[in-house]
Amino acid sequence: MNQPLNHIDQQIPIALRDELGDRVSGIVELESGLLLAAVCRADALPSAVAWLVEQRKYRFATLVVQALPSGDQLDYWFYKPDNGPWVKLSVRLSSDAREVPSVSEQVHAVDWHERQAEDLFGLVFTGHPKLGDFVLHEEWPEGINPMRPEFNVFKPMVEKEVDPQWRPEKILHTPGAFLMPIGPVYSDYAESAQFFLETVGEDVVRMIPRFFFKYRGVERLAEGRSVREVLLMVERFSGTSAVAHATAFCRSVESIGQVAIPPRAEALRLVAAELERIRHHFGLLSDMCHSTGMIVPSADIDIMEEEALRLSAQWAGHRYLYGLIAPGGMARDFSQSDMALLIAQVSRLADDARLLYERLQFTSSFLDRFEGVGVVPNTNAQRLGLVGPIARASDFKTDLRVHAPYGLYRQCPLEAEALESEGDGYARIRVLFAEVFSSVELINKAMANLPTGAVITPVEAVVAGEALGSVEAPKGAAFHFVRMGGDGRVARLQMATPSFTNWHGFHLAAENFAFQDFPIMMASFGLSIAESDR
Amino acid sequence: MFGWFLRGAGSRVKTTRYPPEFDSNVGISPGRPIATQFASSQEADNAAVQCPTQAITAHDNMADINVSRCVHCMACSHGEAAMKWQNDYDWATLSGAGASTTTRPFKKSLHIRLVDSGSCDAVIQEIKQLAKPYYNMHKLGFFITPTPRHADVLMVAGPVTSHMRLALKKTYDAMPGPKWVLAVGNCAISGCVFAPSFMAAGTVSSVIPVDVQVPGCPPPPLAILHGLLVLTGRAQEAPPHVTTTIAEVPL
Amino acid sequence: MNIAEFFFLLVLLLSVAGAVISALAPAQWTGRILAICGTSAATALLIAAAIILAGHESIRVDLWRLPVRGMLRLRVDSVSAFFMLALGISFLPAYWFSDGYMRRYLAHYDPRSFNIFFHLLLAACALVLAAGDVISFLLAWRIMSGLATFPITLEHRQDENRRASYLFLAMNEAGIIISTVGLLWMVALAGGHTGFNALHGSLRHISPAARWAIFLIVFFGFSVKAGLIPLSSWLPQAHPVAPANMSAIMSGCLLNFGIYGIVRFDAIILPPISAGPGLVVLVVGALSALIGILYATIDNDMKKMLAHSSIENLGIIAANVGMGMVFTAYHLPVLAAIAYVVAMYHMINHSAYKTLLFIAAGAIDQQTGTRDMNQLGGLLKRMPMLAALFLVGALAIAALPPLNGFVSEWLTLQTILRSEEFTSHFSRVVFALCGAGLALTAALAVTCFVKAFAMSFLGPAHSEKASRALEPAKSARISMAILALACILLGIGPTWVIPTINRAMKPLAANLAANALVPPFFSHPHGNKDFSPGFMHDFAHIGAGIGRNIIPARGLVVLHQGGKSNPVVYAMSTFYMVGVLALIIFTTWLFVRWGTRRRTITISEPWAGGLRRLAPDMTYSATGFSNPVRVIFRSIFGPAIREDSSTAVAGHFRTAISKQRDDGYIVDRLFLRPLTATVNYAAKLLAKIHKPGMVNAYAAWVLAVLLVILVINRLL
Ligand code: SF4
Repeated sequence: MNQPLNHIDQQIPIALRDELGDRVSGIVELESGLLLAAVCRADALPSAVAWLVEQRKYRFATLVVQALPSGDQLDYWFYKPDNGPWVKLSVRLSSDAREVPSVSEQVHAVDWHERQAEDLFGLVFTGHPKLGDFVLHEEWPEGINPMRPEFNVFKPMVEKEVDPQWRPEKILHTPGAFLMPIGPVYSDYAESAQFFLETVGEDVVRMIPRFFFKYRGVERLAEGRSVREVLLMVERFSGTSAVAHATAFCRSVESIGQVAIPPRAEALRLVAAELERIRHHFGLLSDMCHSTGMIVPSADIDIMEEEALRLSAQWAGHRYLYGLIAPGGMARDFSQSDMALLIAQVSRLADDARLLYERLQFTSSFLDRFEGVGVVPNTNAQRLGLVGPIARASDFKTDLRVHAPYGLYRQCPLEAEALESEGDGYARIRVLFAEVFSSVELINKAMANLPTGAVITPVEAVVAGEALGSVEAPKGAAFHFVRMGGDGRVARLQMATPSFTNWHGFHLAAENFAFQDFPIMMASFGLSIAESDR
Repeated sequence: MFGWFLRGAGSRVKTTRYPPEFDSNVGISPGRPIATQFASSQEADNAAVQCPTQAITAHDNMADINVSRCVHCMACSHGEAAMKWQNDYDWATLSGAGASTTTRPFKKSLHIRLVDSGSCDAVIQEIKQLAKPYYNMHKLGFFITPTPRHADVLMVAGPVTSHMRLALKKTYDAMPGPKWVLAVGNCAISGCVFAPSFMAAGTVSSVIPVDVQVPGCPPPPLAILHGLLVLTGRAQEAPPHVTTTIAEVPL
Repeated sequence: MNIAEFFFLLVLLLSVAGAVISALAPAQWTGRILAICGTSAATALLIAAAIILAGHESIRVDLWRLPVRGMLRLRVDSVSAFFMLALGISFLPAYWFSDGYMRRYLAHYDPRSFNIFFHLLLAACALVLAAGDVISFLLAWRIMSGLATFPITLEHRQDENRRASYLFLAMNEAGIIISTVGLLWMVALAGGHTGFNALHGSLRHISPAARWAIFLIVFFGFSVKAGLIPLSSWLPQAHPVAPANMSAIMSGCLLNFGIYGIVRFDAIILPPISAGPGLVVLVVGALSALIGILYATIDNDMKKMLAHSSIENLGIIAANVGMGMVFTAYHLPVLAAIAYVVAMYHMINHSAYKTLLFIAAGAIDQQTGTRDMNQLGGLLKRMPMLAALFLVGALAIAALPPLNGFVSEWLTLQTILRSEEFTSHFSRVVFALCGAGLALTAALAVTCFVKAFAMSFLGPAHSEKASRALEPAKSARISMAILALACILLGIGPTWVIPTINRAMKPLAANLAANALVPPFFSHPHGNKDFSPGFMHDFAHIGAGIGRNIIPARGLVVLHQGGKSNPVVYAMSTFYMVGVLALIIFTTWLFVRWGTRRRTITISEPWAGGLRRLAPDMTYSATGFSNPVRVIFRSIFGPAIREDSSTAVAGHFRTAISKQRDDGYIVDRLFLRPLTATVNYAAKLLAKIHKPGMVNAYAAWVLAVLLVILVINRLL
């Protein structure tokens, strides 16, 4: 957000003032008009949000809650695809107030953000029909909220006695209906999460997911730590998209510290991010092939994935590209030969992938399992605010590299967003392959005129301030909110990850499916629990 | 279908020759720093300061390293105060008293149940790699099983979050004896950057007894394989964590 | 008076005595009286039947001469005696079971009237079988049907019960009226003879059209009683509401009377001369079997499930009878004999295991307060005895070796394969289709009873009451044990049972079936005149000599002895199978014991993916278990969606999804409801024509009807 866009919709601030009138106050334009911040009256929030999203076609980015000494502040961040400044609507509560009207009726994507804030901050979202049992599970003691400042982070949690009758609320009422529990320890390699399938046998009517088995409290642990320490956590909480999250975090910090990063670092960041995307997509495709029991294609793609991992280690030292991104640029530079190696290898991988893709398109036993499985219609994708390849497979344009470009993506844009319209498993496969190919192109483009010079601008003590950094992570749009305290330490970190957004959409999209399709659906969505649970 | 058969039959053997041969392909492991002798104590101090997790300690002109704290941030792999790096992967060790290797019947056939107790997903990906063509642990008699009832070994990754503690215990209890536990990754050994905290115990050994631990963030597939080989008594464990001797190891 | 007659009289006297004592004694004694008087009456009946079957005696009593229609006679031939045996097998344990069972009603109802009718029912049933002429048969049948209605309505204060018993009454009355018409027509055609033997003789030369008409009327009249499609609607309604001892009787022996009627009148008195009637019976039977088992599989009410399964079993019996008729018509007496014998075998099997299962269902109902399998579960641990006995019944009805159901179903399927001997392609095709239907039935029966056993006895208890259930009273356990023993004996002893049944079915089977099915080559190694030396020689090769030294009886059930076109021998022996099975199980057990002698056993909770607690509603429900069947055969069940809605807040948050569907009964849907609608419509039409006071119109109607009757009479 530190360089102005060309075509900002100048109408927005005026309209905001006109339409919302007395409901909002103190509209300010920040970051040379790229961000409009307004303070909203709590009771007017639902209508303001509804107006932004319905009339002005804004999209919800994230809800940031901060427990400030003066009282809680809730920032609802919105962005507009293509043109238009970002909008931040703030609601300020007095120091002992805890009630905010829920807006998830108006914008359903806010649903889980509200549930999360309810658990972590003890806020009450009036009108939300389903609060509780989200981040904190049944054994967590009532009335203790880990994100409140008075909470002691280093005291281990004391579990409370759990009612043996406890179970998630069943909503399917039909004779003989039962809950089929899956997890948290299930399947061969699955990450820990729990799914209750509401069923009468054979057909699953609905799925109740339970997440946050892996909740490590990264955002709480980050508070009061130095940028260097927090960066380690941000990289490691979801190891398969380390570069994306590290970049988002660093961009926030750089934006607060007003640091301009060197052009060579921008180019290298793009290369690293796209390399990560290629490897990550190979991983997803491999899972999909495995879920259908196609041995040879899955072996093929497994080999490509491992080769991408080896290439990463050869190029940057680490198989998952840890320790590459640093505040102010890149942690290390690369020689000419390193870059040549990368280009050669990436192109070879792309050729292999292309060959495999062509073969797969003619394998009916493979396509049969994916066509029409886990369909997300475009309307649902929009309603649930899905992001990433899943949204794009439902013809919902969400690629931040195109719609809110950052870094080198401004000068070196993505040719075309990979879009498909069916919204089924096969559409997602096509999107993933298309993104692999476009990533290779992007790498080539960025390398064609790689700037020379430094790769890092030293970041001196970061001043107090806040910013929202966004990137298009392999799984979709990620938003990192960072507030720095005056002491150069992180005062608040809030990460809105694509898996978090999409799991919310997934459990609503996946309804009335046959039980045996469950593993295939899970694989075709390819979401990460680590990234969602934080 | 037949096309796939030909494709499968026609591709080269990719599988690593480890064990017994040492696999020296580039990129199979990030390697790890080893104790390094610097020219001056100042340089050794510089090396220690750059480590965000205090894995490096300096005394005089020596920089020692505690590998169980190293999170592979790669900071000490380049720059002026770079440590020596050893590109190996046989890092697994038996975890102190009470740890045991498997009894004879399990030497050539071991079934493994994996529990993710809050890992970063990268380590799960690395474990998955073990069953894939490049590593193919099946040829060594290691198999992943979906139920603990068939498992001999519990492989645990992650810092054991509070919400997973019960599930981990239940999985361990559901296994028939004799049983062994392999803690994979630094999170499982020391909590890495996430623990101990209000939400995570930080070590698997605080919940269930651990036999073999594999450090690394994440440990590369061959390190995990080495862990399994150590567990079955088919490989030597790595030297102790804190290395004070300077070993000039040919790369 | 000979001994058989004496015991038969004893049956009647004991039943009446029971009824009288019941009327006088206090209500608390109800169960005890049933257990003592009833059981002795049933025992007397069994003895009488056994004496007659042994061939020593028979009952021939002429009662008195009616002013118009000849003599009322009691004649018990071996066929009747065999049905009496089934009667006794079912009644004896049902009476004994009543001892503990009747106590549950004392608090709410006075069971004395139930008792009176329940006692008299046995006497009436015995009289139906003993009737030797059409008039006394119809009289006894009338009495029996009337008496049977009352015990069903013991719990008369519930609407559902009253409705069910009205349906029972209405359909059975209709059946009686139809069969009365048929039987009287027979008498008319036979020139006024009413005695069964005389009828048989004098009906030999009636026209084919009359034959067909009589067959159809008699068959459909009696098929109401047998609960065959499409006249089976009353069965799944009446069984669940009746007390368990009464439902056991209804399924275990009252249904058999339908078969008795069909066999007596359509097979013995008026043997078919064309394949048509037999094919009709076969198709109706096969359809009944398939429809019955489909509904049994998806029903979760244990008694309703058993009722549907009775339709299935009666269907199999009827299919066998039908096959017998077809084989008779094609002049294949050996095969016909086999089919009739198998029908009777299956009937007595069904009496044994269905009575057992109904008693078990009643005991479960009594101990847990529910028959809904979705509410049961985990009973194995609470009532191990009952579970073991139920398992025997379930395995038997699911036709698993070495129990009795297996023998008769295996023989049924083998018999139906013998249609290769026909020349008519049409009959072959019908046989093939029915065979496929019956095979599917057998497979579904396994599903059905796996579900019944698993959902009731295994897994966690799905309700509070089921988790606290206790073993039922001793009387229940003893009566079930008797029946379980019967199931096992009938299962492992087909080589003894088949000749016995063959002897009983002499009017239909001569001595052909026994020789064909259980050739006596063990006892006669060579020189048996029924078998060629080559045949005996072949069997000597496969161990006939060894068998002779081990068991002194006919050892194998052989269905196909290998002809020229198909030189294969199909044979089996459940008796040997039991031996081998026991040996295998025992050695395996020894082996396992030896292999695990040094193991320590730890018992841990079931693995549920690390879930905190596996609640009962997180395990498969009975509905869930049978849902695949429900989905696959959707078009048969024709489900009516009563409700399919989701309650939502603002379109996003759903707070409830509600789905209710009723599986319609195909017979009601396709037959009963259109029929009643048509009758209603016709009645309305008549009401329109019928204007009060139009004498001329009446006269015209009467004339028209007369004309029609005359024309029909002329044509026949
Ligand atoms: S790589 Fe390991 S030892 Fe080196 S600085 Fe990073 S954490 Fe410390």
